[in-house]
Amino acid sequence: MTSVPLVSVFSADDSTKVTAKHIPLPAVFQTPIRPDIVSFVHTNIAKNRRQAHAVNPQAGMQHSAESWGTGRAVARIPRVSGSGTHRSGQAAFGNQCRKGRMSLPIKVWRRWHRRVNIKQKRHAAATAVAATGIVPLVLARGHRISQVPQIPLVVEDKIESYEKTTDALNFLKRFGAFEDVQKVVSTKVVRAGISKQRGKKYRVRKGPLVVYFNENAKLLKAFRNVPGVEVVNVTRLNLLQLAPGGQLGRFVIWTQSAFAHLDKLFGTYRYASVLKDGYQLLRPLLTNPDLARIINSNQVQEKVQPAKTTKVLHEVQKKNPLKNTKAMDRLNPYAKKQRAAATAAIKANTKGTKKIKKNKALKKASRAAFNKVSAALNDATKAAVQEEQDIKVKYFSVQKGAAQAE
Amino acid sequence: MSQKKQQMQVEQKVPENVAKKTQRDTKLRDAVAKRRTERLAANKTRRAQWEKSAQAYEAEYKAADKSLVDNLRKAKTEGGFYVPAEAKLILVVRIRGINTLNPQVRQTLRLLKLRQLHNAAFVRVNKATIEMIRKVEPYVTYGYPSRTVIKNLVYKRGYAKINGQRIPITNNNVIEQSLGKVGIHSVEDLIHEITTVGPHFKEANRFLWAFKLRGPRGGFIAKRRSFINQGDWGNREDLINDLVKRMI
Repeated sequence: MTSVPLVSVFSADDSTKVTAKHIPLPAVFQTPIRPDIVSFVHTNIAKNRRQAHAVNPQAGMQHSAESWGTGRAVARIPRVSGSGTHRSGQAAFGNQCRKGRMSLPIKVWRRWHRRVNIKQKRHAAATAVAATGIVPLVLARGHRISQVPQIPLVVEDKIESYEKTTDALNFLKRFGAFEDVQKVVSTKVVRAGISKQRGKKYRVRKGPLVVYFNENAKLLKAFRNVPGVEVVNVTRLNLLQLAPGGQLGRFVIWTQSAFAHLDKLFGTYRYASVLKDGYQLLRPLLTNPDLARIINSNQVQEKVQPAKTTKVLHEVQKKNPLKNTKAMDRLNPYAKKQRAAATAAIKANTKGTKKIKKNKALKKASRAAFNKVSAALNDATKAAVQEEQDIKVKYFSVQKGAAQAE
Repeated sequence: MSQKKQQMQVEQKVPENVAKKTQRDTKLRDAVAKRRTERLAANKTRRAQWEKSAQAYEAEYKAADKSLVDNLRKAKTEGGFYVPAEAKLILVVRIRGINTLNPQVRQTLRLLKLRQLHNAAFVRVNKATIEMIRKVEPYVTYGYPSRTVIKNLVYKRGYAKINGQRIPITNNNVIEQSLGKVGIHSVEDLIHEITTVGPHFKEANRFLWAFKLRGPRGGFIAKRRSFINQGDWGNREDLINDLVKRMI
C-alpha cells in the first residue's frame, strides 16, 4: 500500500485540540474482518469462565423402591416400599416420576472448558481490534458514537493519571462518549428468569472500553464506577471484551501509548509480531477490493463469454391450430388463403338461390278454410252435448214421475 | 458537490468504468439489433417458402383425387375395373391396456411406438411391418388413414421427439431444427411426407411422438372380437377414419 491511513491523537482536556496529527494506523486495523473466526473463538472462549455444577448424585434415588411387576393392575415403574405414609407405593426413580431423579443427571466432570488454537485466538483478537476502527460496525453493535470526533478514538496518555471519577466522567462527556454511558444507564433492566435470585439481578449493556498501556495507571479506579465502561491493558486485550457476544465493533478509547503498542503486539504485514511469538497478521483474500474496476477491466472482459440468451424452442402452451386461427397461421401461412377461398366458395354457391317468398293469398285462403272447419266442429260438439243433456233430463224426470206416482 | 459537477461538465470527463461499460453495452445492443433484423428477414423468406410448398401440395392432392375419380369413371365407361394402388400407409391404434401381455406382443407394440392404450402411430406398409402388425393384431385396430385424418392428427395431437423429450409442434422451428436437413421445413411438408410415404418417411415418422388419443366418443363395439366378427381389433381398412375422428 502506498498510502497509509492516518489517525489524530486528541488532547485529554480539549476534544477540539489535537496533540499529535497524522499518526499512521497500526497494521492490525487493516486485518480482514473475519466474523466467522470471531464467532467460533468466542463461543468456545466464553465457556472457559464456567464453574462446575451438578445435581446431587443421590437426588431422587434415596429409596428402596422396587417394581411390583405385572399382574397388579399398575404400571411397572419402581414403587416406594413400606407403608404408613402417602409416599409408599408411589412411583420413584424414573425421570417421569414425581420426586424421581432427572434423566442423565449432570455430573461435575462435564467438559466445561474448551481449548482453541492459539493462532485462531490471535486472529480473532486482531479482527476484533480492526472492527473497533470501522464506524458502521461500531454503530451496528449499538454504541452511541455520533458525537465522537474520531473512530478509532486515540487520546493522549494524560487520562492514565486520572484518579477521580468526576475527571473520568467529564472526559467522557468531552469526547461524546457519555451518550454511550447514558445508554447503559437507561437500559439497565431486571433480568428475566431465576438468575435474578442467583446474583444476576440486572442486565447491563456494554459501554466504551478504555485501553491503556502503563501498568501503574490509576485510571482503572477512576473509570471503575462508571456504568458500562470497562478498562483493560493493551497487553491483555480480551476477545470477550472486544467483541462481546461474538459481535464485532466495540467502542474503544485508546491511549496514545496503547495505540502505539499495537504494532509490537500484533506485528505488521512486513514484520511478524514481537510479543506474540511467530504470529503474522492474517492476509486478505482480495488485494484489490474495487470489484467494479476488476469486472470492467480489459483483462476480464476479453475472456468473458457473451451473455446467454434464453432460446425458447416452442411456445409454452400448445394451442389447437384446427380451432385457433393464429396458431394455424403460425404453422401454415397458406391456411389464411385457404380459409378465404372456402368462405368465398360458400358465398358463390348460395348466390343463385332466391329467397322463398310466402304466398299471402294462399295463406288467407287456408286460414279461412281452417276457420270454417273449426266452426263446424264447434257446432257439432255443442249439439252433441246438448242432446246428451236433454236425454238425461228426460230420463230423470220420467223416473221422478214414476216415483211420485208410487 | 455542485461545483464538482460543474467541473466535470466543463472538463467532459467520464469515469473509466462507466466509459468502458457504455462502449460495451452499445456494441452488444447493436449486435442484437443486427441479429434481429437478419432473423426477421430470414423468417420472411421462410414463410414465403412454406406458403409456396403448401400451395403446391394442395394442387398435388387435388390432382391425385381428380386422377382417381377420372380413372374410376373411365373404367366404368369402358366396362372394366380400376383397382387403386394398395395403401402404403397404415394408422395403428392400440386398443388393449398393459396388463397380462405376451412378452413378444409387448415388445412388438413397443417397437410400433404403441406403449399406451389409445396410442396411435403411422406405419409404412411392407413385409416386415405387416408381420409385426399380424403379431399384435388382437391388441390393435388399424386401417388406411385419409388425408384429413392425418392432417388433424398432426395439427391437433402432433408432438415431436427432440432429445428424447416430447415437444409440442407449436411452430415450424421445431420441425426445421430436426428435419430441416432432409428437406422438411414446415408442418405441411411433414404431412405431405407422411401421406405420400416419401423418401424421408422414416425420419418424419421417427420425429413424431405417438399420438395420444382419447377413448372414442360412442365407444367401441366389442374389443374382445375382431372387426370382422362384429368387434374391434384388426384391419378395418378405411373405417379407421371414422374411429379416429371419434378419438381425436
